Amino acid sequence: MSNTGKAIVGLIILVLLVIGLAYLGKASQSSAPTTTETPTPVVETGPIKVGVITPLTGDAAALGEFVKNVTDLAVEEVNTNNVINGRTFELVYEDGKCNGTGGANAMQKLVNADGVKIVIASDCSGAVLAGLPIAEQAKVFVFSGTATSPDLTNKSLFFARTVASDNGQGRVLAEAAIAHGWKKVAVLQESSDYALGIYRAFEANYPATAGTITKEEYPGTTTDFRSTLTKLRAANADALFIDPQSPGTAERILKQLADLKWSVPLLANDIVSGNADLITNHKTRLEGALVAEQGTASLPKSQKLDADYLKKYGKEMIYRNYAQAQYDLVYILAEGINKNGTDAGKIATWVRTVKDWPGASGLVTIGADGDRVGGHVLKVIKNGKAELAS
Amino acid sequence: MGILPQLILNSIIAGAIYTMIALGFNLIYSTVKFFDLSYGVMMAIGGYGVYWLYKIIGLNLGLSVVLAILLAGLVGYLADYFVYRPLRRRKASTMVLLVASLGIFTALQAVIAILFSSQFQTLSAGEGKIYEVIGGAITGVQLVILASGLLIMLALAFFLNRTRFGRAIKAVGDDEEVARVVGINTDKIISFVFFLSAAIGGLAGVLVGFDTGIEPTMGLNLLLKGVIAAIVGGIGNIYGGVLGAFLLGTVENFGIWQISGEWKDAIAFALLIVFLIFRPQGLFKR
Amino acid sequence: MPYLIHLAILVGIYGILGLSLNLVVGYTGLLSVTHAAFYGLGAYATAILLTSTGLNFFVALLLGVLITSVLALLIGLVLSRFHGDYYALGSFGFNIIIYSVFLNWQSLTRGPLGIPGIRRPEIFGLNLTDNFHFLLLVLAILLLVYFLCRFIVNSSFGRALRAIREDEQALQVFGYRTTFYKLIIFVLSAALAAVAGSLFASYITFVDPSSFVLFESIFILAIIILGGLANLRGSLLGALFLILLPELLRFVGFPSDIAAQMRQVVYGLILVILMLYRPQGLVGEYKL
Repeated sequence: MSNTGKAIVGLIILVLLVIGLAYLGKASQSSAPTTTETPTPVVETGPIKVGVITPLTGDAAALGEFVKNVTDLAVEEVNTNNVINGRTFELVYEDGKCNGTGGANAMQKLVNADGVKIVIASDCSGAVLAGLPIAEQAKVFVFSGTATSPDLTNKSLFFARTVASDNGQGRVLAEAAIAHGWKKVAVLQESSDYALGIYRAFEANYPATAGTITKEEYPGTTTDFRSTLTKLRAANADALFIDPQSPGTAERILKQLADLKWSVPLLANDIVSGNADLITNHKTRLEGALVAEQGTASLPKSQKLDADYLKKYGKEMIYRNYAQAQYDLVYILAEGINKNGTDAGKIATWVRTVKDWPGASGLVTIGADGDRVGGHVLKVIKNGKAELAS
Repeated sequence: MGILPQLILNSIIAGAIYTMIALGFNLIYSTVKFFDLSYGVMMAIGGYGVYWLYKIIGLNLGLSVVLAILLAGLVGYLADYFVYRPLRRRKASTMVLLVASLGIFTALQAVIAILFSSQFQTLSAGEGKIYEVIGGAITGVQLVILASGLLIMLALAFFLNRTRFGRAIKAVGDDEEVARVVGINTDKIISFVFFLSAAIGGLAGVLVGFDTGIEPTMGLNLLLKGVIAAIVGGIGNIYGGVLGAFLLGTVENFGIWQISGEWKDAIAFALLIVFLIFRPQGLFKR
Repeated sequence: MPYLIHLAILVGIYGILGLSLNLVVGYTGLLSVTHAAFYGLGAYATAILLTSTGLNFFVALLLGVLITSVLALLIGLVLSRFHGDYYALGSFGFNIIIYSVFLNWQSLTRGPLGIPGIRRPEIFGLNLTDNFHFLLLVLAILLLVYFLCRFIVNSSFGRALRAIREDEQALQVFGYRTTFYKLIIFVLSAALAAVAGSLFASYITFVDPSSFVLFESIFILAIIILGGLANLRGSLLGALFLILLPELLRFVGFPSDIAAQMRQVVYGLILVILMLYRPQGLVGEYKL
C-alpha cells in the first residue's frame, strides 16, 4: 500500500472512531429500551422530540416532500398556539424511502440513536411494516397518517393510524360499480403496495356474479400508457377504474386518456380525488367520476388547511386525504400528550379511545385495532369538486 | 376504433422519442467510444429548463425552448471540459469514463430534484389538438416529436457526411490519433460533439416534457431505451439508431398488447439481450 | 450502541456483497452491474422458504444459494459472449428483468406488497432476535467469506483471473479455457451475494422489490471502486465508508428536505472525483 493510501486509510479509521465515540456518548445519554412495562419518563419540560419517517427520496418522494410540508405546518401551529401546555414539538426527520430497508433503517436511527419515544411513520406501508418490530421492541408509539395497508390492522398495540385501511376504498368503489350495473370493469393499477391493496379490496367485493374485471398493471416508472389504455379499451368495458400511486402517473393517465379520445365512466382512488390541480386540469374528463374518499374538502377546518397550505407553500393541496389525516394526527398527538404525558404505552392505549374527534378529515374515531374507523364514502366529481354521491 | 391502428401509431410515437435519444447517444459513442450515461440527465435539463423559463419566469415559449436546449448543450460541454477531457488525456479506459459519467448523472439529477422538488410537473397547459390518422389518435405534440426526430436524423446525416466539419467528426471517431496527426483539432471537435448531442438530448427532454410531463428522474429510463435502440440498430450508425428506435417502440407496444404492460421494461431489455447474443453489431453496420 | 450494531450489521452485509463483486469486477475485469439481482434472489428465496415452511434458516440459505447459482450459471453463459461495455449493458438488462420478476410474479413474491414476518435464524435453540447476536452471525459469515475470497485470489485460479483481466486473448493462446474460468467466478460471486441476501432478509424481517433495483447494483459497484478494485480489504473499507457516509453527512447538517438528495449529489461527486484523481480507489492496486 502506498504512503498516501495508508494515510487516507488511517484518516478514515480515525474519523470513524470519532463518530463511533460520539454515538456511544449520545446513546448512553438517551434512555435505553428496558424490559419494564412503562419506560422511564422523559424529563417533563422542554421540547418533545418526535421522529418522523417519510419518503424523502425514491419513488414516493412526492408524497414525502408533501407530508413534511403538512407536518411542519401543523407542528408550527401547535407550537405557536401553545397547544401542548408549555411544551413544543421538535421533529426529527428520517428518510423511509418507501421500502423495507429504508423504513427499518429510519426506525433504528430514531429509536436507538435519537432515543425518541414517539414516531410519526407517514410513509408507504412497506416501510412502516418493516420498522414496526423495532419500535415495538423498544416500546415506542408509532402513529401513521398515510400507511393504509390492510396488513397493518391490529398489527401492534403500539401502532395506530388516522387513515382507514385500503379495504374501505376498494369496497366502496366495488359496491358503486355493482349499483351502477356495470358488468365489466377495466382496471389500470400501479404495481405498488397502495394501489394493489385497493385493487384487492375491490376484487373481493366485486364477485364473479356481478361481472368481470379485466386488469392491466404497470410499473411506477411508466410514462407511456397509450398501448395499455388501447388494450383496455378493446375489452369494451362499462367503466374504467384508475388506480395509481402518485399524482404524476394519474396526470399522465388522464391526459393520455383524452389524447386517445376515449370516453368512458371512471372510477378512481383518492390519489386522483385528493389532487386539486389534477381535477382542475382534467375537469371535463373527470366529470361524473366516482371516487371513494375519507375526509372532505368542505368542512371549515379542511378549507382552512387548504388555504393555509397554499399561503405557506404557494402550492395547491395534492394528497388531500393524507394531508388532513396527517394534520389531525399532529393535533391528536398533542392532545394525547396533554392527557398522558410522553409515556408511549399510555398514549398508544389512549389513542384507541379517540371517538368523534373533530378534525380536518371529519370526525375521527380510532378503533381497538388501531385503525381509523369508517371514513370512506362514495363521492362524485362534479364541476371540479368531489361531492357526496346522492 | 380498431386496436391495431392505434397500436401502430403508439409504436411510431414511442419510436420517434427513442430516435432522438438514440441519435444524440450514437453521436457521442461513435466519436469518443464510451457510453456516456450523463446524457440521460441532459433530457431532464432541457425539460426543466423550459419549465423554469416558460412557467416560472414567464418567457416566450419559443425563446424558452431555444434557451433550454442551449443550456443542456452547455452542461454537456462543461462535463467534457472538466471531466471527460482530463480523463481522456490520461488515456483512461472506457470503464472509467462510464463510471465518471454515472457520477455526473447521479449528482446532476439530485441537483435538479433539490432545485425543483421531486414532484411531477407538466409543461403544457390544457388539452392540445388531437388528430385522427389511419384510424387512431395522435396529438399535435406527438406529431412535432415525429417530425423533429426525422428532421434531426436528416440534418445529422447531411452534416456528418456532406460538411467538412462533419467529416472531421467522423474522422475523429474513426481514429483520434490519426485525426490529430492530420491536423484536426480533436479537442475542439469533441467538445462540439458533446455540446451538440447534449442539445439534442435537451430537445428530446423538452418534447417529452410537453407530451408526458417532467420529473427529475425522467432521464434514466429514456436513456436506457435510447441505448437499446442504438445498439439494436447498430451502434454508431445514424440510420441504424432510428430503425432500432422504431423497432423497439413496436416490440414494446405490441408486447403490451400480447403480454402485459407490467413487463414492458423486461421486454425491452430482453430484446437488447437477444440482439447482443445473435447480432451484436446490430441491424446496420457502422 | 444499538444503532451502531445496526450499522455494523449493514456494513457486514454490504461487505460480503462488495467482496463477492470484487472477485468478478476487480480481479477478473468483468464490469458486472447486476449484483443486486443475485442479492435479491437470495433474499427472496430465503424469505419465501422461511415464511411458508418451517425450514431452518441455514437450510433456507443454502437453498437460496443453490437457486441463485443455477440462475447465475444461465445468465453467466449469456453474458460470457459479451465484452467490455456490452457486458455491462447486458448485465443492466438482467438486473432489470429479474427486478420485473420480483415485482410482477405476485403469486410467488407478493409483488410490491413485499413479504413481511421473516423469521430470525435459530442456532442450537438460540433465536437470534437480539441484534447483537445477529451481528455475531454476520461477522462470522463475513470472516468466512473473506478468507474464502483470499484463498481464491491467492491461488493459481486467482492468478488466472487476473491474467484474464489483463489480456484474455494471450491466455487463450496458452490453452486456458477462459470462458470456463469466468463462468465459475461469476457463479461463485452470485452465490455469495445470495448469502448476503439471506442475511438481509432475515435481519430486516421484510423484503420488497424496491431493495433490488438497478441503483443498488450501482451502489455496490461504487463500494468496490471507492475501496479499491482487486483489493479485499478495500471492499470492506468501501462498505464501511459508504454505509457511514449518510451519518457523516448528518454532521454537516443539511436541511432535512434536501439532505437525502444531497447524499445523492455526494455519491455522484465521489464517483467523479475518484475517477479523476484516484481511480484505484482508497487502497486498490488496479486502476479501472
